[in-house]
Amino acid sequence: MSPASLAAELCERTLARAGLTYLAEPGDPALGALLGICEPEEILAAIKADMLPGTGPGCGDSPASRAALERALGRWRIRLPKLPSAADIAGACRDGIRLVCPEDPDWPGGLDQLGPARPYALWLRGNTDLRHSCQRSVSVVGSRAATGYGAHVAGEIAADLAERGWVVVSGGAYGIDAAAHRGALATRGITIAVLACGVDFPYPAGHAELFADIAAHGLVISEWPPGCHPARMRFLVRNRVIAALSCGTVIVEAGERSGALNTARHAAELGKPLMAVPGPVTSAQSAGCHRIIREWGASCVTRAADIIDLLSPLSATDAPAPAGAGSAGAGSAGAGSAGGRGPATLPGPGPTSPAWDPALPYDDLDADTTRVLDAFPARGGAGTSTIAVDAGVDLDTVLRCIGVLAGYGFIERGDDGWRLRRPG
Amino acid sequence: MALARTHSVALIGVTGQVVEIEVDIANGLVATILVGLPDTALREARDRIRAAITNSGEEWPHRKITIGLSPASLPKRGSWFDLAIAIGVLTAAGTVPRAAVDGVIFFGELGLDGRLRPVRGVLPAVLAAVDARFGKVMVARENAAEAALVPGVRVIAVSSLTGAADWLRGTPGLHDGLPVTELEGGQPLPAGHVLNVGSGARGPAHNDAAENDAAKAAGPGAVATPDLAELLGQAMARRAAEVCAAGGHHLSLLGPPGAGKTMLAERIPSILPRLDTTAALEVTAIHSVAGTLPPRVPLLTDPPFLAPHHTATKAAIVGGGSGIIRPGSASLAHRGVLFLDEAPEFARDVLDALRQPLEAGEVVVARSGVTARFPARFTLILAANPCPCARAAGPAEGCSCSPTTRRRYLGRISGPLLDRVDVKIELEPVGRTELLNDRSFAESSRTVALRVLAARERAAHRLRGTPWRLNAEVPGSELRRTWPPAPGALRVVERSLERGQISARGVVKVIRVAWTVADLAGRPRPTRDDCDTALGLWLGVRR
Repeated sequence: MSPASLAAELCERTLARAGLTYLAEPGDPALGALLGICEPEEILAAIKADMLPGTGPGCGDSPASRAALERALGRWRIRLPKLPSAADIAGACRDGIRLVCPEDPDWPGGLDQLGPARPYALWLRGNTDLRHSCQRSVSVVGSRAATGYGAHVAGEIAADLAERGWVVVSGGAYGIDAAAHRGALATRGITIAVLACGVDFPYPAGHAELFADIAAHGLVISEWPPGCHPARMRFLVRNRVIAALSCGTVIVEAGERSGALNTARHAAELGKPLMAVPGPVTSAQSAGCHRIIREWGASCVTRAADIIDLLSPLSATDAPAPAGAGSAGAGSAGAGSAGGRGPATLPGPGPTSPAWDPALPYDDLDADTTRVLDAFPARGGAGTSTIAVDAGVDLDTVLRCIGVLAGYGFIERGDDGWRLRRPG
Repeated sequence: MALARTHSVALIGVTGQVVEIEVDIANGLVATILVGLPDTALREARDRIRAAITNSGEEWPHRKITIGLSPASLPKRGSWFDLAIAIGVLTAAGTVPRAAVDGVIFFGELGLDGRLRPVRGVLPAVLAAVDARFGKVMVARENAAEAALVPGVRVIAVSSLTGAADWLRGTPGLHDGLPVTELEGGQPLPAGHVLNVGSGARGPAHNDAAENDAAKAAGPGAVATPDLAELLGQAMARRAAEVCAAGGHHLSLLGPPGAGKTMLAERIPSILPRLDTTAALEVTAIHSVAGTLPPRVPLLTDPPFLAPHHTATKAAIVGGGSGIIRPGSASLAHRGVLFLDEAPEFARDVLDALRQPLEAGEVVVARSGVTARFPARFTLILAANPCPCARAAGPAEGCSCSPTTRRRYLGRISGPLLDRVDVKIELEPVGRTELLNDRSFAESSRTVALRVLAARERAAHRLRGTPWRLNAEVPGSELRRTWPPAPGALRVVERSLERGQISARGVVKVIRVAWTVADLAGRPRPTRDDCDTALGLWLGVRR
């Protein structure tokens, strides 16, 4: 497909938004406000023509805002020579790079909370659905100068989150960000890197391969158009997108003046759950984490399960359970399991039995496993074959059920073989 | 001026390299000079060969004889160059036609009377000869059967230097009474072949079908093969043995004395499939170099079972020794089982020396000048008592070891070694009820072996195109990436991980074992049931 025909496919509005990303710095309040009342095509045309767009309500009401708008116009016009043609923009949209606009179906709704600071459009590398990915996502960010502890924890948390179907959002920097991305990739999860430069510009350069991996299994996204270089201020502007994209933000390691605290502030301002991983109290690298726990009321989290619990208060802790496996709420220990267990016809330790432990997921056991559990003697251990005979099932089933029961903590290994675990 | 060239093979570990032997007879002071990094045994060859030639009725040339072995940089050890050198001298002296020695590898030690003695390492030497495109090998009669294992070679079995010289002159059997026999390599030998000399004594681990039947026919008194069904009351242990045999997983057995740890380990070879031709040749080559081949059976088709004593040295386990580098137990157990009974009693450096073969599947022994590589891909079985006093636990039994002592005792097996073990089980003393109940479940080795064979074929089919053949060989990262279990299958395992019963590394092992369990059950992919069974095998040890 030639760039020209592709350009024809990109609608006028998309092209206008793409053009605006070339002209204005993301997060420009003037453009944000203007986009709220005018169509992007009008704004682009107005910039090109060096005249203010039609005076609608709120647009240039007062002389002061009128002057501010004129200054902004001058600012945007400086970059007009750099504005690529429609064909060039379409050309950029090949090679796996695409543009997502607020009008598009895969625009993540979370970004709309940013109001006037909402990105004009997002450049994406990767084929994953952005909107869908962001619905169960956590941003894991932290300092670039991470300690071994921080990198380890970030990687573990990200891997666990990814394993449970959560998407890990981070900034693609060295240190915590990289550990989080790698952790998610290690378990073949989806991860999103939000960059402060063009998606085709690997910064830091050492992460070129990491970004390629992320693009292959997730998304590399940016507000800046392809080819754009990073700048110091851009990272701070970018942080609001990280906070807004995800359902919650976890700060793994941050010093007192870390940029991660900027992300944390955005998350707090957006009313998103803010979490921090504690570190050694003596570690300067964790001082920022401790401060946001102390002063901003961030939740103290230590593992992926904590994060998921915080983000889904109704305890939808896991990916949708396989059909037929257990009943609702079976994944959460103690939640509603006292209501009864298994098929009612099966005898077994009820709430009055000494082996009854309300913390154990009785609802999760199938008929065979319940039968095997019932075959265990109340005291002491028993051999595998004895249990098979008592339960009336074959040896393979007993061995399988022993795995389930030991995994859930119903039974344990003793001197004389497997035996019931005493609660408490 | 007379120059002759013959060929023999130098062995480095189990790899052979063809060595060219040049003999030059020139005018000068009467002397015999041997050059080309010979060792002591080879230096002595001068005198042996001279006596052998004279006593065979040939004439020793009384001139200056220079014998060169090339490549000169390769250290050459051993006595099997005798025949090649002697034939070289005869050829240089013009008593044997030059054309006859072309394309022949000579491999054998000479006695002073001219007899040809059998040597070790014939199989790897012949393999090297075939690789170097030599079509004929001349070996001692006793080595002929072993040499004939290699396809594409013509084996000339002679019993003396006279016989060899007669054959080369085109007049076989002229002087020597015993006939020279020629064999085509790679063909099954007829039973009771004339070449099968020796006492016929065989180790208990090397039972072939014929002998099995013979043992049965012999009735009571004959040694029966150990059978898995005899391990009554240890259903979980039997299952663990089956899984380990099918997936090649290393196994750790913990339990008080008398629980059946040794009994179980000894029965694992009975459920392992027989070696295929390639594996059998590999194993036979190692045993050939070690000199542990049973004389009557040149090809080992049963997986070897090695149970070194806990006083064994590092060299005995991984191989070594000065002079000729000999394979150790780890290599002798290649494609079979290495059983370390009382594992904590082994010296720590001996156990740690096993880490490299466990990782790489081969042992590398470096010496000045040469580095020998021995294949060592074995199934490791560790057995340990829970405490050093080796008395069963419980107040009545008299074990008074403190928990610290017990911990320290088991701590002697280093973490990195245990990390390679996929299945850990604990055996408990068996009660009467369990014995009775287990009677209906115990299966014979034959039944289990069939399942193991089918599971291995299934795994090999799945792993085709990869460097691995068994589930145990697949690295964890690859396992998680390419062969994850069915969705939702890890539900209980994850739960166990959250409860802290199992580490992330443990999860990988459970997945690996779950694949073997699925293979044994004939399922294409581990289901939740398979993962649960594997979890049970993993959680079966108190920690």
